[in-house]
Amino acid sequence: MVGLPYDCLANPLGAVRLTFEKAVGPGSDPAALDGKDWGAADLFRQFLFDDGGLSQVNPFPDVFFSSQLLMRVPLLNPSTIKWVMPNTLVRFRGMIQDMLGNEYYVGAYKDGDKWRTNKFADVSQCPVDASSDMRIWERRLLYCVPVPGQNSWVEPSHEAMKNVYANSISPQREKRQREDDATMTDVDMVEAGHHALEDSPNFKKMKVATEGNSSNSSLVPVDRNSFPCLVKIYDFSEPDMKLNDVFEFVGVFTFDPDLTVGRDDNDELTENFCEDASVSLPPTKVPRLHCVVHRKLGFGDFLRSPQLELTPCAIKEVREALLGHLTAVLGNDRVAAQYVLLHLLSRVHARVDSIAVGKLSLNLTCFNKESASVFGNNLKRAIENLLPFTERLPLTIDDLNTVSLAPKKDYSTNRLVSGILQLAEGSHLTIDETPLQSGTLNSTGVENARILKNMMESQKVEYDFTYYKMEMAADVQLLILSEGKSNILPADLILPFHPSSVDSTLGVDEEMLKSWRWYLATMKSLCHSIEPHMQKVVEDDLVAARQADRSLGSQEFSRWLTMGRLMSISFGETCLSMEHWQMVKELERLRKERL
Amino acid sequence: MIRFLSETPSRRRFGDKCQVVFEQLKSLLISSLSSLGGDSSTRCCSSSWVSRLEGKSGKSFPGWAFSNSSAWRMASSLRAYLTALERVFARTQIKLLPKMNEAPKTWPSLYPGYPISTAVTFSFHNPDATPTPSSSNHPRDRRRRSSVTPNAAATPSSTDDVPPSSEAGEGDDDEAPPMYVWGTNISVQDVNAAILRFLRHFRENPQQIEGKYMRIINHVIETEGDSLDVDAHDVFDYDSDLYIKMVRYPLEVLAIFDIVLMDMVNRINPLFEKLIQARIFNLKSSTSLRNLNPSDVEKMVSVKGMIIRCSSIIPEIKEAVFRCLVCGYYSDPIVVDRGRIDEPTACVKQECLSKNSMTLVHNRCRFADKQVVRLQETPDEIPEGGTPHTVSLLMHDRLVDAGKPGDRVEVTGIYRAMSVRIGQTQRTVKSIFKASTSSSLMPFSTYIDCLHLKTIDKSRMYVEDSMVTENEASRNDNESTLDIEDKVEQLKELSRQPDIYERLTRSLAPNIWELDDVKKGLLCQGDINILLVGDPGTSKSQLLQYIHKLSPRGIYTSGRGSSAVGLTAYVTKDPETGETVLESGALVLSDRGICCIDEFDKMSENARSMLHEADEQTDRRLAKHIVALHFEDPDNSEQNVIDLPTLTAYVSYARKHIHPQLSDEAAEELTRGYVEMRRKGNFPGSSKKVEKRDVAEAFRLLEVAMQQSATDHSTGTIDMDLITTGVSASERMRRENLASTTRSIIMEKMQLGGPSIRLLELLEELKKQSPAAEIHLSDLRHALATLSGEGFVVVHGDSVKRV
Repeated sequence: MVGLPYDCLANPLGAVRLTFEKAVGPGSDPAALDGKDWGAADLFRQFLFDDGGLSQVNPFPDVFFSSQLLMRVPLLNPSTIKWVMPNTLVRFRGMIQDMLGNEYYVGAYKDGDKWRTNKFADVSQCPVDASSDMRIWERRLLYCVPVPGQNSWVEPSHEAMKNVYANSISPQREKRQREDDATMTDVDMVEAGHHALEDSPNFKKMKVATEGNSSNSSLVPVDRNSFPCLVKIYDFSEPDMKLNDVFEFVGVFTFDPDLTVGRDDNDELTENFCEDASVSLPPTKVPRLHCVVHRKLGFGDFLRSPQLELTPCAIKEVREALLGHLTAVLGNDRVAAQYVLLHLLSRVHARVDSIAVGKLSLNLTCFNKESASVFGNNLKRAIENLLPFTERLPLTIDDLNTVSLAPKKDYSTNRLVSGILQLAEGSHLTIDETPLQSGTLNSTGVENARILKNMMESQKVEYDFTYYKMEMAADVQLLILSEGKSNILPADLILPFHPSSVDSTLGVDEEMLKSWRWYLATMKSLCHSIEPHMQKVVEDDLVAARQADRSLGSQEFSRWLTMGRLMSISFGETCLSMEHWQMVKELERLRKERL
Repeated sequence: MIRFLSETPSRRRFGDKCQVVFEQLKSLLISSLSSLGGDSSTRCCSSSWVSRLEGKSGKSFPGWAFSNSSAWRMASSLRAYLTALERVFARTQIKLLPKMNEAPKTWPSLYPGYPISTAVTFSFHNPDATPTPSSSNHPRDRRRRSSVTPNAAATPSSTDDVPPSSEAGEGDDDEAPPMYVWGTNISVQDVNAAILRFLRHFRENPQQIEGKYMRIINHVIETEGDSLDVDAHDVFDYDSDLYIKMVRYPLEVLAIFDIVLMDMVNRINPLFEKLIQARIFNLKSSTSLRNLNPSDVEKMVSVKGMIIRCSSIIPEIKEAVFRCLVCGYYSDPIVVDRGRIDEPTACVKQECLSKNSMTLVHNRCRFADKQVVRLQETPDEIPEGGTPHTVSLLMHDRLVDAGKPGDRVEVTGIYRAMSVRIGQTQRTVKSIFKASTSSSLMPFSTYIDCLHLKTIDKSRMYVEDSMVTENEASRNDNESTLDIEDKVEQLKELSRQPDIYERLTRSLAPNIWELDDVKKGLLCQGDINILLVGDPGTSKSQLLQYIHKLSPRGIYTSGRGSSAVGLTAYVTKDPETGETVLESGALVLSDRGICCIDEFDKMSENARSMLHEADEQTDRRLAKHIVALHFEDPDNSEQNVIDLPTLTAYVSYARKHIHPQLSDEAAEELTRGYVEMRRKGNFPGSSKKVEKRDVAEAFRLLEVAMQQSATDHSTGTIDMDLITTGVSASERMRRENLASTTRSIIMEKMQLGGPSIRLLELLEELKKQSPAAEIHLSDLRHALATLSGEGFVVVHGDSVKRV
């Protein structure tokens, strides 16, 4: 049946127009709407979350995710773009890779006596008379990419998506999609009111055109790693969006291969003005999403399994199972497994001056070529299965001398060219140092080594803006595999790796994996504190340790406290207990024995 | 010509905007023609300009000409004048639009068809319908007012006594209705008069006989300059109303400004050929590039930023000359109208009249320079997690190439938005300049039409950017100056606190535990170079980063600010442990003010310090500190600490404004101390402090530094060689020994020109020969470097060859 929800999905612009007309009565001036929402976004929020109250202050972020209606909004990705129609509502999940500044557009204009709006659209839907009244509004352009290193289990299967979509729209649609017809000639939907859309001939053509495009793969980038999306944000007031943040955007999808700024005019001046990044991002390559609703995604938003009960007992069970799994992966080295577990739970939870508190980078040493290939690969697979975003970087002299680790601004295209270290918050990066041999680093290599070291020490990456460098805070779990201790990549922890067996049968139950993913994501975000009496104990221990060994300093103390915190939360506890503190000390003792 | 002023109402709108121009032109033409008196058959090139005006007005001038060389000069001057008019036209894009007869639009009205323009700017209001702004601003009152001040404005220029032509023209005011800037109640005549008043009478202080800008105008004329820099603060101080109008309606006000200026210049020196443009700078408030928004469009704005790109210079054709391919006849210069040339389709020569024979003669055309420059926010304005915003600047003429990439500049200009048109296919609508009426509308490109560019001196420190210079200090009605004085007073207050030295020390990197002496030393940074040496993990890097923050941020640009250019390093992998080390190479972290060099290579683990005292109290403080770091809210972990901005301001201000003198006593102490120091160990350093206790403190710090930095780890003594050469005497001895041992091994094992030997083999051998010494691969490399320097061996990657 054709109800309101249907409109929002298939004809969001109709809904936008409807609310606009309601907001701008005859004779009123849309100047009052400058930079404001007139209720369109609220309408969509209500529609998507079934209940407007929830979206305003949402105490359970998961509700957003599990909202059935939201799930019906097709997720834009390389496979769905083949059948998603322009001017419909879509979702895009990605990382803000670059911010392209603000764009001015004709937000509202007078068509005869009536004000019309272009909000949430690339082009005006009817010709704008040059002399008519208009309001200039601005929107923010974000260049978003799929989160680097996103593992395959994170995305829902495309078929499932398509089914949801097909069901939510209407059964007739499928038929139309198969129709064969000429290519799209006109996207104008001037008269396509929400009620008229079904029967509009334009609509039919448009659909077919998209279908036609899908068969022509040259129009659509197929490489999943380079599936960018230009997101246009409206009515932004809050500076809540940062570079490298991972967001879910819901909005109007436009993808119009015919839309091209005329470039064959040999007026140099024009070209100089139009050289903006959007020109280098032709609509034929980069789909546009006019964002209606957006929200930042957290660790838990990438889990699709039903959540487990949060009882200490259950947590302990999951922990033990995961630890067993890691031990098996690491050739029965339980100490290493414990450290890896803590490492996987670590995150930067505070920054004090240049100190990133909470990071716990781990350097597993004693790898050689063979063990690196066996255990390194096992570990890689295990981590990929556990964390949503993982990257791997084998280190050689050649690589160091040539790769671009840090992002760099290209002023000729006005774009930030991404580097390997442009990673989303909470990503995991394994650096395999075993292939590294002696050799000379050129200036790029020296710079890269410095960038890596800086990343290890302060969780910051210097982005190169040619005339200056800008430090961007990162929060990446860093795991180093090396033969001996790496002084190029100074980790918080150095642990000689001592495997005793090779277990090649590491088959894991999918349900187990789900619970482990949930466990890691949930425990990681726990808050943590310390009781005064425990604080005293810790202080005494630190002083005693330093009295015994003068070489201990703030670094070691910092590490122990981080480990204490991680040990606690690995049991789902938010307060450091004596027991866990003792476990940390014991673990460190075992580690020291190996050094 | 008076007829222009009394055109029919339907032509008024156009007539009005011409009126200002013609009023000026009128007097000039009349005076110049009458002074020349001649009539001749020679047409000068200006005639085309005149004919253009004629064309615009739909009227025709009587044929006119010049007979002699002085007439030619006059003509050139007139030509300059007309060029100016052309520029005024270009700036305001006065053009009769088809829709012009409709009711006035709300301002700013944006005509997408005329991207760089704002369509017609002057309009005619029915005086009955539109109330005049205020009676005091009425032209008649202004006259009265100007008659109050003429004596104060007595400038030496004799022309000043003659009523300016524009005022003469205003004799018609009684009949001619006032003109208003489109959609506003701003009277053109009022603005005209206000500008004139400002230029004539503004003085920086009452003692000056001549007005500031009259002096500058005369100077510009003398030096044949082409622009007059006008300090917007001056405009504000003299006439805040004019300032507000100028900022809100820059296109119109600047057009009037230029006309007034031209008029003045012509009266001072009628033969002055060039056109002088007003360049406004130093607006009361500058906008952050990030905060520019649609409401700023068509306003005068001032933004600071860094130039990141300059386009090549774009020659923009202003006048085109065509030649007939058949008869060789040269056309009159044809003026380019908004990028369009009306190409003649046929030769106009009566004898020829060939069709399609006219071809462009490039070297007879007149071009103007244009350049598109991209300005980017400076790092200090970028919020955390953001990327810098950019804006395009359009530079004309003199401003072209005024800044280069990497420069930090402050620009004043008019913020414009230009729509980019697109069509269904690429070919249909090509140019943004072409006013086709259909098709879709793309987003706007925005840019700043630049009026003035000021390069901000790179070497200046933070305080100078935001704090007092002598000039500004004298202006006590300036709010920001007051602010600054407040700030300075606060800093001085702070400096009077008894424990200021300790507080400063504590505030420096409060999260780095202890190291007070090091911090004190670092506080003195700037004039002295500091070598910070210490064990791994003793917060050297953090201290450096803090110091780096303390120094004025934002300007680390000297062309390509990249640090590691040309630097190489060597990665070694210990054959036994597989431990990797990066050798050599110090890296420059930043510049401007402080150059922080962070040692890249790691000291050997054995060199762990024995300097730490085994004091339980300090241990406890460290423990407490670390626990707090991990568990407490970072905001309230440290009290009684001066915040970073204040600390920065304090240090910057002290460095800039406090110039202590050395007292005799202190000087003596310094000398004594220096001599003593020299006696101790040839240390060539000195410090620059005032009081005796300062000197004592400086020496104390120096001594601490000496102890900590120049202690040879293998002997435990202070080693001057370590300071002067970076290599301790014992280390050098060791290296020499190693080199000679290596040499003898090679002599023994290898043949001259024989097969090469691998480094590791050599290392094994070396270890065998001197089992007591701990020899690393890096040591061997050093030794081999020495030997290959002597031409004894050749080192090729991992292999050594005797030569």
